Amino acid sequence: MAVAHTAPSAFLSIPPQKLSSFASPKTPFLGFPVAVAPKPFVQARALTLAKPTPNQIRCQGDAVIPKEQKWMFDESNINGPDIWNKTWYPKAADHVNTEKTWYVVDATDKILGRLASTIAIHIRGKNLATYTPSVDMGAFVIVVNAEKVAVSGKKRTQKLYRRHSGRPGGMKVETFDQLQQRIPERIIEHAVRGMLPKGRLGRALFTHLKVYKGPNHPHEAQKPIELPIRDKRVQVQK
Amino acid sequence: MTRIKRGYIARRRRTKIRLFASTFRGAHSRLTRTITQQKMRALVSAHRDRGKQKRNFRRLWITRINAVIRENREEGVSYSYSRLIHDLYKRQLLLNRKILAQLAISNRNCLYMISNEILK
Repeated sequence: MAVAHTAPSAFLSIPPQKLSSFASPKTPFLGFPVAVAPKPFVQARALTLAKPTPNQIRCQGDAVIPKEQKWMFDESNINGPDIWNKTWYPKAADHVNTEKTWYVVDATDKILGRLASTIAIHIRGKNLATYTPSVDMGAFVIVVNAEKVAVSGKKRTQKLYRRHSGRPGGMKVETFDQLQQRIPERIIEHAVRGMLPKGRLGRALFTHLKVYKGPNHPHEAQKPIELPIRDKRVQVQK
Repeated sequence: MTRIKRGYIARRRRTKIRLFASTFRGAHSRLTRTITQQKMRALVSAHRDRGKQKRNFRRLWITRINAVIRENREEGVSYSYSRLIHDLYKRQLLLNRKILAQLAISNRNCLYMISNEILK
């Protein structure tokens, strides 16, 4: 509560224009049926299930249930689905690949692990309210200038990348430096893959990471935006 | 002792079990002995996971709330789920994590208003 002396109303801002870019669920998710074109964000309403006003009912009509049949409609969805007793689960329309956000990040002089951590969080979708562990709700991330990524300390010559071919004596060891000369993209891919979940979904998530060597990437058509990095120590201190 | 055949006793019992496992895959819905075993395993899993279900959902709600709370804090100090819950308890607000998580998805403004209120 050390922050109580600052202006309380400005603390968690309610930016209406920002809300339309949030990954709000695409399927209508309210306590009452809505019109066909959903608004980008919802005005704050009372939390109780409101009686549907006339301009909000789509095709339900005036559902007048005779008194002796009311028990049959106790659990029906006439007034909309019960959002307070069923936790939201994404429908197919909520995770279409073509409508996901694309982020781009320049890896020049960024600490490898901290950068990979932020990337993995965005790919997995853990920064979203609609996070679901069983569904791919994350965004796509493009990394450019992968060969310029930095590490602290003596890791440049001492960090080892190992792989094994499966045959006896088939262990291949490489230092960070050598791998950066050979295949610089693999460094970032290796780091991010270690931070994504291992499994079928994790492998699918990994395909949402695109790493490139130079400053160019072929995804201009997806209009990627800058990846917001909250870590203050990700940039190498010169 | 007179001779007693078992008749259809075993068959009736096994038919009930077979009905339970009628939607299982492959041999698990066709072979009698396998059906018995799979029904047992299914019921054990269901029993155990009814307890885990409560844990899993609470985890999910906490993760969702944390995601929304952390997101909108670039201008001020970083707010987190732990601080939100602490403030909620201090103000004796009885909203549970399920409601907060559903709020975070359906009506984010409301969640922000609540957290602004309790921050004061």
